[in-house]
Amino acid sequence: MSKKVFQHPAAQPGEPTGPTYWRSLEERNKSPEFLTRAEREFVEGASAITAVERREFLMLMGASFGLAGLGLAGCREPRNHTLPYAKQPEDTIPGIATYYASSFPGEFAHQPILVETHEHRPTKIEGNPSHRANGGASSKFAQASVLDMYDPDRAQASVSADGSVLTVAAVRSFVRGLAAAAQADAGAGLAFLARPSASPTRARLVAGLQAAYPKARWVEYAPVAQNRADAVLGARALPDYAKARRVLSLDRDFLGAHDGTVEDTRAYASARRADTAEQAEKMTRLYVVESTFSLTGAAADHRLRAASSHISGLAIIFAAEVLAQKGAAAAASLKGKVSGIDVDSKWVTECVADLVSAKGEALIVAGDHLSADAHRAVFLANQALGAAVRYVAAPAPSALTIAALAAKPAATLVILGGNPAYDGPADVNFLAAIKAARNVVRLGYHGPSFDETSAAVKAAGGTFLAASHYLESWSDGRTLAGVYVPVQPMIDPLFATVTELDVLAPFAGSDQEPSALVRATFNALSSDASDEAYAAWLAEGVLPGSAFVAATPAVGPAQIKAFAAPALSADALEVRLLPSVHAGDGLQANNGWLAEAPDPMSKTVWENVILISPKLAAKLAIEPSEMVINKIGALNRNINQLVAGRLLCRIATLTLGDKSVTGPLFIMPGMADYTVGLQLGFGRRIGGRIATRVPERLAGSLVGHGFDAYPLVAASAPAVRTGVRLTLTDATVPVGNMQDHWSMEGRDILREGNAEDLKKNQNFAKLGIDGHAPAVYGKDGAMAPAAKAITTPRGNSAYEHPNHSVAPNVAVWKGHEDKFPALQQWGMSIDLNTCTGCNACVTACQSENNIPVVGREQVLKGRNMHWIRLDRYFFDGRAAAGNAIPEDPQVTFMGVACQHCETAPCESVCPANATVHDDQGLNTMAYNRCIGTRYCANNCPYKVRRFNFLDYNKRVDGHFYEGPLGPAKAVKDPADLPQLQKNPDVSVRMRGVMEKCTYCVQRIQEAKIQAKVRARNSADINVRDGVIQVACQQACPAGAIEFGDITDPKSRVAQAKASTRSYGALTYLNTRPRTTYQAKLRNLNLRMPGANLVPLSRVEMDGRAAHGDAHGDAHGAKPHSK
Amino acid sequence: MAHAPDSSTERPAILDKVRPAELPRPPLILNDRGFHWITDKVCGIVEEETPLWWKIMFGVALFVASFTFIGLAYLVSTGTGTWGLRSPVGWGWAIVNFVFWVGIGHAGTLISAILCLLRQKWRTSINRAAEAMTIFAVMCAGLFPLFHVGRVWFGWWLFPLPNQNGIWVQFRSPLEWDVFAVSTYFTVSTLFWYMGMIPDLGAIRDRATTWWRKAVYSLLAMGWRGGNRQWSNFEMAYLLLAGLSTPLVLSVHTIVSFDFAVSNVPGWHTTIFPPYFVAGAIFSGFAMVLTLMLPLRAIYRLHDVITQYHIDNMCKIILATGTMVGYAYATEFFIAAYSGNAFEKFAFVNRAFGQYAWAYWIMVSCNVITPQLFWFKKVRENHSLVWIICLFVNVGMWFERFVITVTSLANDYLPSSWGYYSPTIVDIFTFFGTFGFFSVLFLLFVRFLPLLPMAELKMVSPQADPHAR
Repeated sequence: MSKKVFQHPAAQPGEPTGPTYWRSLEERNKSPEFLTRAEREFVEGASAITAVERREFLMLMGASFGLAGLGLAGCREPRNHTLPYAKQPEDTIPGIATYYASSFPGEFAHQPILVETHEHRPTKIEGNPSHRANGGASSKFAQASVLDMYDPDRAQASVSADGSVLTVAAVRSFVRGLAAAAQADAGAGLAFLARPSASPTRARLVAGLQAAYPKARWVEYAPVAQNRADAVLGARALPDYAKARRVLSLDRDFLGAHDGTVEDTRAYASARRADTAEQAEKMTRLYVVESTFSLTGAAADHRLRAASSHISGLAIIFAAEVLAQKGAAAAASLKGKVSGIDVDSKWVTECVADLVSAKGEALIVAGDHLSADAHRAVFLANQALGAAVRYVAAPAPSALTIAALAAKPAATLVILGGNPAYDGPADVNFLAAIKAARNVVRLGYHGPSFDETSAAVKAAGGTFLAASHYLESWSDGRTLAGVYVPVQPMIDPLFATVTELDVLAPFAGSDQEPSALVRATFNALSSDASDEAYAAWLAEGVLPGSAFVAATPAVGPAQIKAFAAPALSADALEVRLLPSVHAGDGLQANNGWLAEAPDPMSKTVWENVILISPKLAAKLAIEPSEMVINKIGALNRNINQLVAGRLLCRIATLTLGDKSVTGPLFIMPGMADYTVGLQLGFGRRIGGRIATRVPERLAGSLVGHGFDAYPLVAASAPAVRTGVRLTLTDATVPVGNMQDHWSMEGRDILREGNAEDLKKNQNFAKLGIDGHAPAVYGKDGAMAPAAKAITTPRGNSAYEHPNHSVAPNVAVWKGHEDKFPALQQWGMSIDLNTCTGCNACVTACQSENNIPVVGREQVLKGRNMHWIRLDRYFFDGRAAAGNAIPEDPQVTFMGVACQHCETAPCESVCPANATVHDDQGLNTMAYNRCIGTRYCANNCPYKVRRFNFLDYNKRVDGHFYEGPLGPAKAVKDPADLPQLQKNPDVSVRMRGVMEKCTYCVQRIQEAKIQAKVRARNSADINVRDGVIQVACQQACPAGAIEFGDITDPKSRVAQAKASTRSYGALTYLNTRPRTTYQAKLRNLNLRMPGANLVPLSRVEMDGRAAHGDAHGDAHGAKPHSK
Repeated sequence: MAHAPDSSTERPAILDKVRPAELPRPPLILNDRGFHWITDKVCGIVEEETPLWWKIMFGVALFVASFTFIGLAYLVSTGTGTWGLRSPVGWGWAIVNFVFWVGIGHAGTLISAILCLLRQKWRTSINRAAEAMTIFAVMCAGLFPLFHVGRVWFGWWLFPLPNQNGIWVQFRSPLEWDVFAVSTYFTVSTLFWYMGMIPDLGAIRDRATTWWRKAVYSLLAMGWRGGNRQWSNFEMAYLLLAGLSTPLVLSVHTIVSFDFAVSNVPGWHTTIFPPYFVAGAIFSGFAMVLTLMLPLRAIYRLHDVITQYHIDNMCKIILATGTMVGYAYATEFFIAAYSGNAFEKFAFVNRAFGQYAWAYWIMVSCNVITPQLFWFKKVRENHSLVWIICLFVNVGMWFERFVITVTSLANDYLPSSWGYYSPTIVDIFTFFGTFGFFSVLFLLFVRFLPLLPMAELKMVSPQADPHAR
């Protein structure tokens, strides 16, 4: 072993040398032994411990350890191994997150994402900004998907038919054997059932499979069809919401739950930004015709309630009206085809007139569940309008249906993903197909204990293959517009699992690994198949120029057949079956974040409800007394039976033929009169700890985690059923809900206006009650907020930290202000106009900030921990109607998190000084110092502080109340798996501690450190605008949230705050919130019936006694007019 | 003065004729009881064989007290979630109970200090027991703010202890003021109580017959001999402590009211709170004194010492403070309406007619309506009725704190966050247990310490005034 030898250069002749010193005579004499010794770094033999010496050493050490540990061995902590990086992996710096591009698979479209990994452990999903249409935004489903990977109930091993555990190699050889066996009869007895997929590699393998086994059947099934129009038109419609100025949505919730919602929301929001009256008139006007109250309906400027089963006919009526106003000949015949629909004809003509007048910037979109004729009619209307929509050639869905598969069971059935035993149509006996098969193979994410299909397969003696999570897999996919995106593994599979591609490859005659399969697909799709291009694709996450090519559907008016609308009444109801806005169709039902994200409209959580209209409720006489709301206390009798703060819903049964569904009734404003809304995805019979329906302890109640609505799904009618009867029972059940109260009580918390308001007084948003009771600004009254933020004391913390640069207002530094560059001041602005209430921010915040899931029981007690609350208020506006539940209200969302008040009421009341202000304007929370008096939460007017009432992070849900006697999460307990998701940059809070939004202080700190590193010796340590993206801002598909330095007038947040629409909530309390809002604008068509010139929220505000005019000056100089 | 008239010669004769009849002050001790009787009576309580009723009561009290301690053990081991608290109601029964008990703890020091300074001699019959009640009530009260915090093991962070982290307490927080106000009050009240007891402890010591009684009471009496100098020092110290305690009577509940008044919660943020809370505290304190003294009077036959006159006086104080409290309720409404502040208006209307209206009307009927019966002499003389009315007052005052604490929090600024608070069984048992805890302490006091201040009683007895007619 040679040591590195250091050679000191000898002095050159003439080089000046000082006096010569020497350590020994040997050195003075330059003896050879000395020279050798001096050149060596260590003395000879230092690195060589001989074998004998080592043994002696170990012996001695062992003996002393033994003695030291002898008496104590029994009470030592269990031994764990901490392994340092003996060799540091490339590109890994401990403590610094690494981001990889990937995509979140949807059945219809993939969502390009970036995955944040800490030491190669995925912790957070973010949108991929390289994909322009997403711009870095993401959906709540994508956000929540990372938790699925750490699902403690996920299948951890494949199990063969005889019950033995299969290794990955064994699984591969098993599948190869299956493929070989099927070759004999060209796959005649072979059938596959899979979820639809947007993966080109899977499509390629399926094509290979069908070529190799011509008689094999390939069936795709999804309980919620998303792309029905594709089949009807032979092309996919891509509406351009950014370009369209007038949009008519026929029961299509494009802002809600669709693959591609992120893109659509972003485009829609981009056309909804306006600050002046001119811009307000130009922004997109949204007309919505729908039966249930969706997010799109909430965003609508004009909303028409109609039964879903009638909307297919309405689509034809609207199309006929478009054609008529365009002077097309086919109009009359088209209109004559519809019968049985009673619609306000003025609504139709004025709406269409507005669309027609938009000249090429209008757009009609139709819901996927509408009839084929409706899609044809909408296509024709869009053609006539020259609408802002383009058509592309997208892959066709599979032709075979699950019904066909069940009708003729296969001998060998391979079920890839999905959960057809739970979500299959009720009129298809899929379980029989499983039982009939000789050989069933199931690739599933959850094993037989936690999944209906896996359980059925096990019962039938089939083989269970454990599936990998997409964050552990190689695959690929396409976005809505067809952009080719990768799915990359972030980590080796946590367990011995395989992917869909692993199973399909042998059938397609390939023995390649999924990574090689993806590479082959890439080579085929990319113009440049080089390694560099492939690496660039993986790094960037999108393949430029890979979108679908244009196509032209061929549809004529003659194809449209006559439509007779079914008659609806209280005895023959219509049921609209929807995927739950917060839990999807049930595949992600075991995800705690999604379960605890409230439904945006009903605010129910952890379960689903039967949504009925107030009119139907009145007919059923659900409320024992007259259904009015006590406006004074307002909680005596709220929107539903609210007893002692608990939502107690009556239980009802819906019956159709021999199928019935039982669940709690929830009276939902804005529903079509005889439509009943049912959310799918709940009531799993066999599911994981989150998904499973648990028996409620209270007597007379039925519902645990929701009820199963799939019994009403039919293969032919998956979304709308008619002729349903509703039977009311006397039993009630408490339903978890996160917002009890529907009304804003006429307070000016959120503010709305329209172009007219901006014309009259562009500062309309700044008035309201605050105008009457102006904010107390003290001596700095008129000063701009940004200036005030620097020059007047902020928050008055007890301490100025000596190591920080000092605010210039401190007396001792007067005259030296230049030596202290003013610190950046963080602030946020939330645009209520573009916010759609989609919950992406809520889930992103939960993911970023380690917010625990508290469970249904705790939600029922009002102890949810979300740092962001999406307040939803309904506005009725009818003064005479007063207290009745509104039938046709307006709705607005308002995201409320900690407002970071400059003079924060929470800070001065904390006796322990645990919540203090920092010098950049953050209201910070020192968890370690908090003793939990909860005074801060009481004194917060925005009620955004959340308290850890129980040990939510340490204890297992369901055992919170058992204290130390309850089961603790052990190190190897699978229940502890979700701990791996935790963000290492954020503390995990214990019980008894207050918490709240921190403005993602960990991200701010990271950016500040980077800025200081970049600044080197210069004074330019400011973080550039846009570098810090807080989690909610980053996820927001509407781009409604801006964050940054409010003292920099060029920053986006400063510009947002300079908007005329900008206002602070409850500023009359002199809280000086750093988070401000931009008022919502409605874009009215005054010719429409029921156009409310004054937004209903303001009607209520104005109607409140003596506090009138939002238009007036501070003291109501002029009388208000309605 | 120009010239002072010679009283003997120039006194107008008319004066003798019009001299008003002297209203006889009701004697504070009836039936011409002598000093010895007083000593025997008071010391007899301590010296007698432990009565059976005491043993039973003590057992029951201990059992009830265990509810509190079991409740607290569960709370500390498991979390604040075992109580009914939720967002937005961060303070529930714990703070209600705290203010309730602190309020009760007001009468003792008021009686001993303020009435002492005002030379209200009738106070002597009741002040010892009332002071004991104060101390025990403050002990019960102190449990709640201590244990209501999420991490009670860090409760010592509320004290300004120097530490290496340079972290200091937040002196702007009313909760911090509470720490000082309540602990000062407790310390001074205890000192005052104990000091006043020293002469009586000396008397018990002197009468002690067993060695252990002698040893214990000698220790407690701190060498009291009853000499002139000791008496002189005692009187002066007593007066000084009375002076020191007087502002505390007002400050404690003022500061407790600041917990609410300093916040910005509609319904809490009112300037009327300090006087209103102090009046309420005296109100509830006197009610509790009567609740305790009436049975003791009956059991120990103290009718000659605690006379109808005493009871009348206390009833009248309850009537006065109850009316003040009622006036405060009305003022709150007026100010809310007059302020023009929509949130304030809502808070008070919601109190009376909202989801907690039941609590509000219990409060009003118990606190405002019931005490009005004390206008009638017949009522004041019917001791069972007095006792029942005092119970009503205690219930009403508990509800007053509940109404203030909970209704304001449950419905404040943003309707989206409104909620409804209900207690859990743990809340209820923990509170219930404090009555046991209080009773344990009070029974021990009755059994082992002089229930009435013998020395002071003798001073105000007719026998002590040789010039009395």
